[in-house]
Amino acid sequence: MTREEVFATLNEVFQDVFDDESITVNEETTADDIEDWDSLEHINLIAAVEQEFGMKFTMGQVVTMKNVGEMADIIMSQIAD
Amino acid sequence: MPATFTSFYFLCFYAVSLLIYYIIPGKMQWGFLLFVSGAFYLLTGNGILILYPIAAALIAYVSLRVMAGTEDVKKRRFALFFAVVLLVGSLAVLKYVNFGINTVNGIAALWGKGWDIVNPVRFLAPLGISFYTLSILGYIVDVYNKIAEPQNNFFKLTLYGMYFPSILSGPILRYREDGEQFFVPHPFDYRQVTFGMQRMVWGFFKILVISERMNLVVNTVYDNYTQYPGTYIWFATICFAFQLYTNFSGSMDIALGMSQSFGIYLPENFENPFFSKNISEYWRRWHITLGVWMKEYVFYPLLRTGAFTSLGKKMRRKFGKKRGKQFSTFLAMFILWFMVGIWHGGDWKFVIGSGLLHWFYIVSGELLTPFFQKGMEKFHINPKGRWVDIFRMFRTFFLVNIGFVFFRAASAMDAWKMLKGAVSVWNPWVLADGSLFSLGLDVIETVIALVSLLILWTISRLQKNGSVRERIEKKKLPVRFVIWYALLFYIILLGYYGPGYSAAEFIYQGF
Repeated sequence: MTREEVFATLNEVFQDVFDDESITVNEETTADDIEDWDSLEHINLIAAVEQEFGMKFTMGQVVTMKNVGEMADIIMSQIAD
Repeated sequence: MPATFTSFYFLCFYAVSLLIYYIIPGKMQWGFLLFVSGAFYLLTGNGILILYPIAAALIAYVSLRVMAGTEDVKKRRFALFFAVVLLVGSLAVLKYVNFGINTVNGIAALWGKGWDIVNPVRFLAPLGISFYTLSILGYIVDVYNKIAEPQNNFFKLTLYGMYFPSILSGPILRYREDGEQFFVPHPFDYRQVTFGMQRMVWGFFKILVISERMNLVVNTVYDNYTQYPGTYIWFATICFAFQLYTNFSGSMDIALGMSQSFGIYLPENFENPFFSKNISEYWRRWHITLGVWMKEYVFYPLLRTGAFTSLGKKMRRKFGKKRGKQFSTFLAMFILWFMVGIWHGGDWKFVIGSGLLHWFYIVSGELLTPFFQKGMEKFHINPKGRWVDIFRMFRTFFLVNIGFVFFRAASAMDAWKMLKGAVSVWNPWVLADGSLFSLGLDVIETVIALVSLLILWTISRLQKNGSVRERIEKKKLPVRFVIWYALLFYIILLGYYGPGYSAAEFIYQGF
């Protein structure tokens, strides 16, 4: 999967989780940019991403991920294996 | 020496420590801080109890050594488990055994048993146990999760746990961000030291001038609430909100300022919480380090457990995507808020007032938001309008105050009676007929309190646009001189030192 494809899929997951068709994410998108992305939704989002890509984030990654770019890095490194 | 930052002896202790800190070679500084922290613990009369934080550091040391030496998941998990059980266990025994016993006795009393079926146990909880336990626990979990490096020096770990500016009432530290700066040399930096001291002065202003004055009014009403019903209770509760805020955030200003003068930056614990527009935002701005800790080490791991994941899936199938998702989140939040509440103390008044009540607020907010939005659309109210924001701030402040009634009242039962007294008696005229001046602050004292609150409010507004100290720094020397000396004299002249000058115990240090 290319990085573009990962982002395209991430867009769909984000739109689905936050119920908002207008969301598009990029490398620098953070929780501050998406109104409903708070600590209540964070784990739901993580679970949805994991299910979509068939991979698992570690707890350390869950709490230290700073933006969607880092999320994509982790996804790429895991699905490449 | 009393265990407060505002005692005269403590200030002498701090001044001497600071002087020696910058005379000795940089490599010896952390060792000196450890010595000073140990001395502080002993001088505050904790004596043999100093063995508790040392034991906590030893537990962490053993656990981290094991984790550092192996990649084996089972062994790492055992090392984590070992530390969590011992650390949480000692906290639970020292602070919460009586909570269980009192609850059992309370239930027995409801069934008509007039005596205690189990006698409460007397323990002496060591100073700062609720704070250092969380700082150390978080670090061990981070090493387990491989997002922090294991410290291999036992004495350095002990300093991290016992660092005297943060032992009394926090902030809760995070080793992966705050840890390493303790152990590097800090050459003398005039600006850093003066900035730190300026922040301490601001903390003294909050505690000695505002908090201690509010305390008088609060005590009068809360200790005799049957005599002071209705408006008195509302008034005293608002005073308590400011008392608690200025006391706790003021002690943070002193702790962070003092630490800054040693060249060590601790995490912020407050960000003008009373300007929050909803309860979730309030908890991101009040006692920030506790909220972050609970989120990272309780809420997220809980939601990631197999039990919660499968519960979420089941509920989603049954109630649809949105409602199903909410169910498991709300359940995890219930556990989270119970823990936040009980962290404040083993008493139902804390479990309710600082915990479950806030869970109730957030859950109701989540469930009612769609209705509010529809209502606003119907009445053509702009949800981002200025007045809507102001309304939201007042609403949030009001809700938080209900929690403060529990926090301050002698027990949950007293809080309940006070809330009933607050709504059942209609006496708003006491606000205007001078009755309030009989609660402990006369006319002049009330004016001083109001002017001081106005200063606090002005500075808080200014802080929105960045550091006030930096802006003062850019002014000409005479202006700077006048500002800082005026504040200093204001505190010295108008600070309320209480009977016998043993000032201000921090409300949060008992936790």
